[in-house]
Amino acid sequence: MGGLREKSHLAVTLYGAALRLLPPTLRREYGVDMIVDFRRSVSPAGGQRVRPVFATVRAVADVVMRAPAEWRAELRSRGRAVGGKGRLGAGGPFDGFREFRIAVRALWRRPGFTIAAVSTLGLGIGATVALWTIVESVLLRPLPYSESNDILTMTHAAPGMDLPADLENSAGTVLLYRQRARTVTDVAVMDDAARNVTGGGEPVRMSVQQVTPEFFDVLRIDPAMGRRFYAEDAVPGPVRVAILTDASWRAHFGGDRDVIGRTIRIDGEPAQVVGVMPPGFIVPESREAGLLLPLWLDEVNNLTTFGLTGLMRLAPGATLEMAQEELSGLQMQLPEIAPGLTAELLERTGWSVNVERYRDRIVRSIAPTLWILLAVVGLVLLIAFANVANLILVRAESRRQEMAIRAALGAGRRSVAGMFLVECVLLGLAGGAVGVALAWATVRLVVARGPEGLPRLAEVSMDGSVLAMALLLSLSTGFLLGLVPLGRRPWADRSAALREGGLRATAHREGRRTRSVLIAGQVAMALVLLVFAGLLIRSSLRLARVDPGISTTGVLAVGVSRGAASTPADAAMFYQRVLDEARTLPGVIAIGAGNYIPFLEGNLNGTSFRIESRPREEDQLPVVVMYGAISEGYFDALGMRILEGRNIVRADHERRAPVVWINETFARRYLDGAALGERIRFGPDTTFLEIAGVVNDVRTFGLDEEVRPMAYLPMNTSVGGASTELMQFAVRLDAQPAAFAAALRGIVARLDSAAPLTNAVTLEDAMRRSLAERSFVLLLLGIAAGAALLLGVVGLYGVISYVVAQRTREIGVRIALGADVQGVRAWVLRQGLALVATGIVAGLFAAAATTRLLQSLLYDVDARDPVTFLAVTAVLLAVGAAATWVPAMRASRISPLEALRAD
Amino acid sequence: LKPAIFHILLSLADEPQHGYAIRTAVEERTGGALRLWPATLYGTIRRLAEEGWIEELGEEPEPDADARRRYYALTRTGRDVLRAETERLESLVAAARGSRALKGA
Repeated sequence: MGGLREKSHLAVTLYGAALRLLPPTLRREYGVDMIVDFRRSVSPAGGQRVRPVFATVRAVADVVMRAPAEWRAELRSRGRAVGGKGRLGAGGPFDGFREFRIAVRALWRRPGFTIAAVSTLGLGIGATVALWTIVESVLLRPLPYSESNDILTMTHAAPGMDLPADLENSAGTVLLYRQRARTVTDVAVMDDAARNVTGGGEPVRMSVQQVTPEFFDVLRIDPAMGRRFYAEDAVPGPVRVAILTDASWRAHFGGDRDVIGRTIRIDGEPAQVVGVMPPGFIVPESREAGLLLPLWLDEVNNLTTFGLTGLMRLAPGATLEMAQEELSGLQMQLPEIAPGLTAELLERTGWSVNVERYRDRIVRSIAPTLWILLAVVGLVLLIAFANVANLILVRAESRRQEMAIRAALGAGRRSVAGMFLVECVLLGLAGGAVGVALAWATVRLVVARGPEGLPRLAEVSMDGSVLAMALLLSLSTGFLLGLVPLGRRPWADRSAALREGGLRATAHREGRRTRSVLIAGQVAMALVLLVFAGLLIRSSLRLARVDPGISTTGVLAVGVSRGAASTPADAAMFYQRVLDEARTLPGVIAIGAGNYIPFLEGNLNGTSFRIESRPREEDQLPVVVMYGAISEGYFDALGMRILEGRNIVRADHERRAPVVWINETFARRYLDGAALGERIRFGPDTTFLEIAGVVNDVRTFGLDEEVRPMAYLPMNTSVGGASTELMQFAVRLDAQPAAFAAALRGIVARLDSAAPLTNAVTLEDAMRRSLAERSFVLLLLGIAAGAALLLGVVGLYGVISYVVAQRTREIGVRIALGADVQGVRAWVLRQGLALVATGIVAGLFAAAATTRLLQSLLYDVDARDPVTFLAVTAVLLAVGAAATWVPAMRASRISPLEALRAD
Repeated sequence: LKPAIFHILLSLADEPQHGYAIRTAVEERTGGALRLWPATLYGTIRRLAEEGWIEELGEEPEPDADARRRYYALTRTGRDVLRAETERLESLVAAARGSRALKGA
């Protein structure tokens, strides 16, 4: 229903905009009635006689077709009022309606030109509007929270610590800002997680967002039913209360209003449902979260554990800059609250805080890409514009006589100019209509099929502001097009034009120059786009050759949560039993479990470590290693290689052997390659672990990320507290994945009915998905570059053909006088290639200046990669030569007799 | 007369109506062949009002009628026009019936 209401709202907006075509007096008197009636005919309640989309189209068409008659009546009555002055047909300087009629007729009479122009403009405008819709919805529209521009977030940077990403917040920083910052009012933190929830029937593995009670103050939101969290809800230990999202309330509790007060089980512990969030509420940082749980801030132990996402609300009267300044100033007081972070450490690591609008942070990863794409489609629009401008110029040339006749018959300068203008504005509007339809379809496709990682994707929609932008774009495009031939003043020398016939050979040098500039410009823009696409293609090729470090073929991953097991040791035993039974399933070649598998969602822990044989000097910074918990068979299932030492065996996690495996990068960077037998310890732990083996590097964070030092601990270790709440089972299969997944589900259900599984994914899919955003950008850029190339070639071909046609007589004379055919051909080719060459040179400069913008999307390719630049230049030269070759051949075959007879 | 005008006048012949009711009536009478979309409907209504064939009622004909709606009624002139047009159409139909081409039908 919500979708329907939204659609009918859009339809009414559209219709309201269309009504602006009618005279204001009519609109004032009957506009409201028209909209009321229209709404009745598209609303589902008003009978189902006509489908709303059809009704909208018909009603808008009705307005458009009715508009001329209404304006005529309007002008007539207005004329009556002022005493017959502006009567229709009296040849007023510019009365709009007549120009409109003439323009429609003129366009109708040349369907080829009109279709070409409208579809070209439609493509350009459509692409621009589609991208603008995405940019507007994702980057510019406020987040769907009350006064969301005042919602800030803060992260901390410590470049000296060599961490893979920025540090979020710890209890220490939260306390610091709560107690001492005056530019922010409320400070909340969130921590997303997953829980086994038993409420209705089956246990489900559910994403949850744990939030401190201040969350509701910062977002200024309250549950639609029940109550929010209060300070007393946030307690250590298992949570006692939970708030459902609207979606999970409907999905798991059938939208039952009596759900408040009901007891559900979260990881086996009872908790009371105290509220349901309103529909449409988007849980920050965890769109799919089904539950909000109270988060207790451990102000003793977690002062220096930076895993919490912070949200703050700006105090009234304060600005972002003031908040940034104040929080930066507070950093030196951090040691007073979190003694673990000494002033010296802060200074040495280059510690700093970064405060930004929460919206900016959400879209930070995608913003540059979107702006680049918008610029790219803007270029395509420019190329389309140049192409249509060319068509219009050629047409203006061929209409010189018509114009001259009109002028001779007394049509005023402004009238002729106005006619041109009205024609072009009409073209622009028609192109805009095609474009909006195209954009609408494209946006729907992107929302349905776009890359999963694109933030705020679900919020992408066309709204009134986008439609207004599209209208403005169409109008200004049309208007600018109308100005192009004005520079040439087709009505200027009316006598010359009337006499004209044989003079065409040398006339209109001016017009040719304008066209040449347009063509060279098109070539230049096409070159820039091709270089962009080329660089991305080369990046993708490089990426495809990157060794992920694991072998993904035939590997399936299924997540199993620990279910009823409450201690890590029990959990390890449970996983071990699942492994033992699953190993005997048909088709299993190797199977192992780990709390992290490359390319899948999951959490890796990170910690500082010490090497026994190389004690850290006092003034040395702690270095950080990421680590995961694994079972026997993990390396085999993923196809990893043991470079030194031994493989992990069952005894390692059964007996809690103090052993660890490290990757090649770790061994090389910190142990000079001689790692075996060395002992290391993690963070505050006192147990030293012996390095039992070195495995090959894996692109843990994605193919395009650098490899970091990595450690693997047996899953039952007492060290480091690697979370084993959810283990991913990786299995190398020689059988149908679906059958295996079903069998595994059966095993898990038999061993522990409270342990849910996640969906099975093949690692090949997961790896492809990790590159989805890149492929998506590449696809869009490829299409844009292809369109640019096509439009450029068509334009070039058209202009050269036209030049040849115009000069048929001159060429004929030359051939008659003995010019050799090859010379003629070369002359035409030279004309075309000169344009192409000019465009290429300009394009190369433009590309060299702008490819830096792509940097974030490039992998292992220089932004000014000479191979790409050369290849693109060659392609354009070849295509340009081909486009010129055809008219050149035609010119060389001109028969002198025919040419002289031609006019 | 244009069909739209004729049908609007006809809809108002029995009793005053509001715009949407005129539209529905015309649609039903013509079996959906003629649909008066809002711009055409109100454009024509304005024209007819200017010509003095119909007039807008200041008050609602029934006390419980939808107060937001504006009702229109046929004027004397409008009634004359409608009658004249009906007669013209009748004579046309008679002429067609009389012609040999349609005899068999």
